[in-house]
Amino acid sequence: MNVRLTVNGEPHEAEVWEGESLLFALRERLGLPGSKNACEQGECGSCSVLLDDRLVCSCLVLAVQADGHDVVTVEGLAEDGRLHRVQEAFAATGAVQCGFCTPGFVVAAADLLEHNADPSDDEIREALSGNLCRCTGYAKIFDAVRLAASQ
Amino acid sequence: MELRRPPDAQHAVAALGNGSLALAGGTDLVPLLRDGIVRADTLVHLADAVPRGIDGTRIGAGTTLAELEVDPQVPAALREACAQAASPQLRSMGTIGGNLRQATRCWYWRLRFPCWLHGGEVCHAKAGQHREHAIFGNERCASAHPSDPAAALLALGARVRTDRRELSVAELYRLPTDESRDVVVLAPDELVLELDVPLPDASVYLKAMDRKKWAFPLVGVAAARFGDRVAFGLAGVAPIPWAVDSADDLDRATPLPGTAYKVQIARALIARAFSAL
Repeated sequence: MNVRLTVNGEPHEAEVWEGESLLFALRERLGLPGSKNACEQGECGSCSVLLDDRLVCSCLVLAVQADGHDVVTVEGLAEDGRLHRVQEAFAATGAVQCGFCTPGFVVAAADLLEHNADPSDDEIREALSGNLCRCTGYAKIFDAVRLAASQ
Repeated sequence: MELRRPPDAQHAVAALGNGSLALAGGTDLVPLLRDGIVRADTLVHLADAVPRGIDGTRIGAGTTLAELEVDPQVPAALREACAQAASPQLRSMGTIGGNLRQATRCWYWRLRFPCWLHGGEVCHAKAGQHREHAIFGNERCASAHPSDPAAALLALGARVRTDRRELSVAELYRLPTDESRDVVVLAPDELVLELDVPLPDASVYLKAMDRKKWAFPLVGVAAARFGDRVAFGLAGVAPIPWAVDSADDLDRATPLPGTAYKVQIARALIARAFSAL
């Protein structure tokens, strides 16, 4: 079936299977591979995107549930050719190891700072609790979020 | 698989049953479908069919856990149960109506063992790995009900309005039987539309889990005080949300070798919840 959705500010249209996830549609139909496909269970958060400004696991959302809605992926965070401050902070603090979890963490952290400009450590923990880094690089990820918040 | 998006509850009910399943937030159903644990000829997308939002004591079934956890109209036990459930990503999609219908986390069931709950003869968890499993109502099936909000709604004495009747959360659930392995009394085409959640004088939700965030309850204890009466609802201790009157009811628990520790946790959390009220 046909779905129309806005992705990173641009209108898109795609022919999808009824049981297909938003993640699959983004990666395989719309050419946006930034959101990663890992657990497909909602455990790891590597597929995190914003759906109508709410942080979701795109592996648990059917593409048809996003029909008519607004999606922002990690590809849509940069503005005017400049990385989002969370992305810059991840690079500056070395918060990236293998990198597979990074897009999900970046989207979750950007979402946190959008709603809470000066989060406490507990608030950062809560906001990132749905994202796993199997390299266990959490200390640097915290540094990155604190750095981005301070800017 | 076909997908329908009915414009209202009446059309949704007409589309349900006969191999079709209701899709709310999808956080449980989508992976269950993907893994072939449940099958559907038709998905009935409920976005336009069930109410969403909070109006005093009334909560639309389409309201998300994220919306509930921050709304001051919502009793503390339900807010806390929602806030401690899953992760932010899942709470922004998961609805309270869907949460009441979520399936057990029993890995035998999720790995499609031909277990009793799937219609087979034996509960593999009872003889096998069952650390996360039940201490009550586990004669046939040792699965544990995973919903934190359902335990809170049970303690709060919430009522459920479906397309055809009104019943309490306590009446909504029943232990599965040889004849029907379902944990709710709803008909296949029956749709939960709204909850009515009485305002208690005080309430609280306490949860023991393997880590501080994003884990299902080993034991969840909701307590609600109405005047001098305190009601408790427990998560993670039986195939359905389990009501107890006091910690003394734990004397009647039937733990498995691997779940005996849950009796101690439940006692401690009940005592802690009681003193918090």
